[in-house]
Amino acid sequence: MPIYAPTLPPAPDLHQGHPPALVLMRFDLTRLWRQKIGRFFGFAFLMVLLWKVARIYIDHLLQTNQAFKPMQDFAKTILTQGADFQADLLNPASYLLWFLVALVGGGLVARDTLYRVRPLMYAHPVAPRDYLLAKLGFASLLPFVILLPFALLPWGMSLLLAGLHGPVWATAPLRLLPAMAISSVLMGALAVGASSMAATPRAGIGWVLGLVLGAGTLATMIHGLTGIKAVDALNPVMLAEAWPQLFVGVDHPMVAWLPALLGTAFHISLWTFVAARRTRPSEAVI
Amino acid sequence: MIAFENLEVRYPKALEPALKGLTLTLDRGIVGLLGPNGAGKSTLLKALLGLLTPSRGSGSVLGVALGAPEAARLRARIGYMPEYDALIEDASAYEQVAFWGELSGLAPEAARDRAHEVLYFVGLDEARYRPVSGYSTGMRQRVKLAQALVHSPELIFLDEPTNGLDPDGRRRMLDLVLRVHAELGTGVILASHLLGDVERVADQLVILDQGEIKAAGSMAGLRKALAKRVELRFLDPLDAPQEAALVELGTVLEARNGLYDLELTEADPTGAFRWAQAQGATLVQVTPRHDRLDEVLLRALHPATGV
Repeated sequence: MPIYAPTLPPAPDLHQGHPPALVLMRFDLTRLWRQKIGRFFGFAFLMVLLWKVARIYIDHLLQTNQAFKPMQDFAKTILTQGADFQADLLNPASYLLWFLVALVGGGLVARDTLYRVRPLMYAHPVAPRDYLLAKLGFASLLPFVILLPFALLPWGMSLLLAGLHGPVWATAPLRLLPAMAISSVLMGALAVGASSMAATPRAGIGWVLGLVLGAGTLATMIHGLTGIKAVDALNPVMLAEAWPQLFVGVDHPMVAWLPALLGTAFHISLWTFVAARRTRPSEAVI
Repeated sequence: MIAFENLEVRYPKALEPALKGLTLTLDRGIVGLLGPNGAGKSTLLKALLGLLTPSRGSGSVLGVALGAPEAARLRARIGYMPEYDALIEDASAYEQVAFWGELSGLAPEAARDRAHEVLYFVGLDEARYRPVSGYSTGMRQRVKLAQALVHSPELIFLDEPTNGLDPDGRRRMLDLVLRVHAELGTGVILASHLLGDVERVADQLVILDQGEIKAAGSMAGLRKALAKRVELRFLDPLDAPQEAALVELGTVLEARNGLYDLELTEADPTGAFRWAQAQGATLVQVTPRHDRLDEVLLRALHPATGV
């Protein structure tokens, strides 16, 4: 037998809260934190990050410790800190990141569709653009925040160990951060667009992986048939990989600046449009 | 509280509009929105919430015109309990009620405090910390009611709030609805296809069918109209002249084995005894037929049958 309260006092003043998009993003983050997937990927990314940092520290020891002198020449060939090193900083993480984006982003909109909570959100003072902004923001901020320590921590550590006059590219983050932002928005838009087409989170994961792999295969096939390298810019994985390289000044073997710009703009606008269409209130009313 | 004129709502690609030119004014109170499945009850609620854009006509809710720029802010003054399970299955009742409170404009800490208060009000105690995926139907319905109340709305829309509940659960839910109106002063629009539910709590009634309003008015008025319905039992069957003279009392709806269902011209049934005395007939029983709201519904939906 439930115990009922004598009565309900009036609610505190409304309009004191955060913007709806922020509330939605925070709720998605809490939800991710609770899931095993969040902890698993947190651990995996931490390991990759530690490997990067350890590599820099070993490089430092090789440079400064006489005991490592015989290994120095060999070390220089594998532990350089030029543009290649900077571009490479993000790559291993970004591959793992695609899986995280698929597993988390695939369910972002699909879970709301499955639980049928979107009409209820729109019955609150939440506009469809708030909803879309929250989902895109969360799906884009997640890879960005994960990539951030990969760009900043090794760089900061190198700076600390070697100083400004050492073999450290002091302004590298100024180039890496915008590249990471573009790659993250690309990942986020694709994940949210794919998730909006799915009825369940699992189907959403399938949609993200299918779209990423499908677009990559299509680009490779067209490239193979026509010999036009620029079509590789349809491949989202290659695009995400190309941006850090282009920004730090390493020529990507497949994608140049203009195709990368066009390909990224195509993916972001297409998947944002799809998500916007699929999350309209009329679509939400079941 | 709510007024609309010539309101028409049409779903994309649908041949027929879901709501066909509805015109109505509703006062603050508990309004029962009654009709069979597919009558347009949920569509009307969604149109009033601004989830569906009217294809024709106009209306206002709490003084704000439908489709006006401030309609989005109006939704902070309204609570909505949907018919279906709109619950976040992997979150606890406490987490999601606080979340809905924040979406309505409460500050995070205030939303958390308020979630406790409102869950206590609807009768969810320690269970509030468990994920709702393990809740019974009654508990789930109460979480849905709690999220509709968390921001102290002036008006709540309850769409089939007793769906799937056993008789005891239904009674408790309807008691809560009555408390919401009586104690909090909140206007209630209750959409249901269950006549008993509406009859128990509503003071105004709107009957919808196939997107049209079939009847509307205060429950008292409808009951008063029904009070003219009586069943007369005579000791012996009336002869032909006496049966013909029954029209002096009102309209004969049905006659069988000395029993006559009548719609009296006047609400006072004592005139039937005077008529019987004058006719030399022995009237042994007058049974008022005002206790069944389903007859109002059936008559509204099927006027030709004269039920």
